[in-house]
Amino acid sequence: MDGNISKPKVQEGVWLWLLKVLFGVAIAVLIAVHFIVNHLVADGGLLTYQDVINYYKIPGIAAMEIAFLIFVVIHALMGTRSIFLDLNPSEKMLKIINWGMLVLGVAAIAYGIWLAQVIAGR
Amino acid sequence: MENSPSSSKFMRWFDPRYRQVGTWAFILNRVTAIGLTVYLVLHLFMLGKLAQGPEAYDSFIALAKTPLIKFGELLVVAAGILHGLNGIRITLNSFGVLVRYQKQIFIILLILSVTAIAYFAYFMFFLA
Amino acid sequence: MTDLWNISLIISRQKTARKRYFDTFQLEVNPDEYVLDAVERVWAFHDRGLAFRHACHHSTCGACAMLVNGVEKLTCITSIRSVTHNSGKLKIEPLRNFPVISDLVVDMSSFYTNLELARFTQVATLKDASLPYEKEQLDTTHERLVDCIECGMCVSACPAAHTSEKYHGPGVLAAYQHSYNQEKDQFLLEAVDCQDGVWRCHNAFECSSVCPSNVDPAWRIMNLRRIIIQTRLGRLFKK
Repeated sequence: MDGNISKPKVQEGVWLWLLKVLFGVAIAVLIAVHFIVNHLVADGGLLTYQDVINYYKIPGIAAMEIAFLIFVVIHALMGTRSIFLDLNPSEKMLKIINWGMLVLGVAAIAYGIWLAQVIAGR
Repeated sequence: MENSPSSSKFMRWFDPRYRQVGTWAFILNRVTAIGLTVYLVLHLFMLGKLAQGPEAYDSFIALAKTPLIKFGELLVVAAGILHGLNGIRITLNSFGVLVRYQKQIFIILLILSVTAIAYFAYFMFFLA
Repeated sequence: MTDLWNISLIISRQKTARKRYFDTFQLEVNPDEYVLDAVERVWAFHDRGLAFRHACHHSTCGACAMLVNGVEKLTCITSIRSVTHNSGKLKIEPLRNFPVISDLVVDMSSFYTNLELARFTQVATLKDASLPYEKEQLDTTHERLVDCIECGMCVSACPAAHTSEKYHGPGVLAAYQHSYNQEKDQFLLEAVDCQDGVWRCHNAFECSSVCPSNVDPAWRIMNLRRIIIQTRLGRLFKK
């Protein structure tokens, strides 16, 4: 008898988990930077359109914000996926969830990169 | 059969009755995670207003200064601090570090978080 | 002579033909007796149809685990005084996350089978039977029965086991850790290195909290995580 444990799907789970955790640490670091910089750079924070434009002219800022976005989006999607896993989806449902997460992730990151470039170019 | 594990029992995650500190930490982590994800979507959407030009962005910022929105932002800060600190606790534990002190560490980080959140609340509502 | 208490026992009943319901029994008990004694008295003098498991009555067999007022307890060592008061209530339910066969009896068969798959051995050297962080110097010549009594309380308390049958569960993962510690067999690591294995645990630590026997399954799961990561990173950098 096999018990009720599923046959392990070739070490699935560890890399996604490790990625989630390492990105979490990266976010913890970057969020401090993102927050401080966003609130201290301009007088009272980035509260006008012009402040934001000027902020993105600083070298390295766009890259930092994009890196931050990538970490956050991937961490959030993997965390949401974990919540879905607790709903015990079928194999087919899980494939749909995985695919959906991938599409959302790529879309969000692409949107962020586009937006950053638009602002940096103004 | 009744009483078997089932996905219909999913919402029981959020029931902290009869459970210990570790479960409280887990529930808090999940609730803040969901809150932060919702905020992420809203934030990305809000930043899109930058592309629409100064009028769109600046009028949104005017909205953001209303007390309701500011309170929402305070919740986001609270969620970020709690989720971040608890996440570090979970990361450390999962590498075998300080597992035996997980309860104490959670209590400490809770105190730190409440202090930080109070500080932010003071800043946001009485100084800004 | 201790003062006797009057308490109500509200016991979960389930027979095949009926949906689950609760029966209430009034008992006069000595508060220093155990919850299992009260349940047994209900069976003996009030309802011979009450199905429940019990064997050793001294916390070695793990048979009498139940939910008492919502919390997992080993009822043979849980004094009535510790869970209620005079004129109080005791709500007795079967363990969570296991199918109910009848009343308070649950189907533990897949749990036991999974323990066997983990090559769980009930006897180990003094050193291997203890948790590494317990500082005593233990020799490897003498042996004893290991701590896990296979009661299933950890599985009942685990939030991840609540929604998924496929999740190995804390007791089984602890058994894998115990086996790996002794055999160092890579196969054991691979069996738990999956989505329904150690990576599913949400760090609620509820299992270690309810374990009546010092197994600390949560610690063991974290230990497995560390070992798996070290092994995999080691393999990556060896190339």
